Amino acid sequence: MAARSVLKSVCTSLAGLKLGASGSNVSALQRINVPQLSALTIQSRGIRQVVEKQEGKTTTVEGRSVEVPAGPQPPNPTAKCPIYRWNLQHKYNYTDVLLLSQFIRSDGGMLPRKITGLCAEEHRKIAVCVQMAHRAGLLPDHRPKLPEGHVPKKAKPQLNRVNQAIWLHLLECHHSVHPGSQ
Amino acid sequence: MSSFTRSAQQWATFARSWFVIDARMQPPGKIATMCSVRLQGKHKPIYHALSDCGDHVVVINTKHIAFSGNKWEQKVYSSHTGYPGGFKQVTAAQLHQKDPKAIVKLAVYGMLPKNLHRRTMMQRLHIFADDELPEDIRANLTEELAQPRKIPRKLSEYTQEEIDAFPRLWTPYHYTFK
Repeated sequence: MAARSVLKSVCTSLAGLKLGASGSNVSALQRINVPQLSALTIQSRGIRQVVEKQEGKTTTVEGRSVEVPAGPQPPNPTAKCPIYRWNLQHKYNYTDVLLLSQFIRSDGGMLPRKITGLCAEEHRKIAVCVQMAHRAGLLPDHRPKLPEGHVPKKAKPQLNRVNQAIWLHLLECHHSVHPGSQ
Repeated sequence: MSSFTRSAQQWATFARSWFVIDARMQPPGKIATMCSVRLQGKHKPIYHALSDCGDHVVVINTKHIAFSGNKWEQKVYSSHTGYPGGFKQVTAAQLHQKDPKAIVKLAVYGMLPKNLHRRTMMQRLHIFADDELPEDIRANLTEELAQPRKIPRKLSEYTQEEIDAFPRLWTPYHYTFK
């Protein structure tokens, strides 16, 4: 109980973001790099890792700052949507699993748009690509968690599927590019 | 061509080769077109329908075949036993469960020309559900054909270095308040 309340306070202290209380979201955030802060972003204390120590009857829950080196800078830092920041507007497909896996939860669902910062159009496109990737079997570790002790009655036949549709924007070159706006 | 003896050139032109195709994660229709072209001998410039110039084709891993769309549930294979009330319809998934070689076999059978040569060409087609081949067939193989479809990489097949080299596109700090 104490741990959960501390987790909640860590969540609320992360600049008022409305996060789900599930452990998977927080653990996903802990692995994310800390970028260089510009004058536009709000000052924050950085990502902390929750460490629990038990000494006899006392449990110490500590938030240790994780020192993560900043990653490479995007080519278009002023845009609001991450896809427009990295100029990947019409360049991705359902096979680019490294890109898609950054926007999904551990059970395969999409992260909310308010957290990832995607514009509506790109969020929809990425959601469709994620569905295609799941259908093609490209995300084998992002399966929904079954309740413990659940034994499937009949082993389902493993049928391989092929996605034929390439994202249409890759074929059409004349699509007006607009800066991501919220 | 002047460096070949007559007998060597004759043998190289008219010999019957053995091709092998891996059907893992491939659509069965594309595999079947490649098979039918080579079973008829249409890949050779000396082709003639009466000259029996077809080659042998070995298809492996047919139990890992991949249909596009919803064909596993929607594609229906029909047959009639000849007795009244004997019209049987099975979906592709059910047929694949009963016999993993049947889908490729029926696909190739439907793509060959509908004449008496079709049965001999089907005798030269060898289908295996997994990649275990008998020794005599393995000894005969001459060429492996490229797979028609490029298989996309799963997330589990990427190394940790490749995953780390890919830049993070977003962090929680890019969220601005109103």
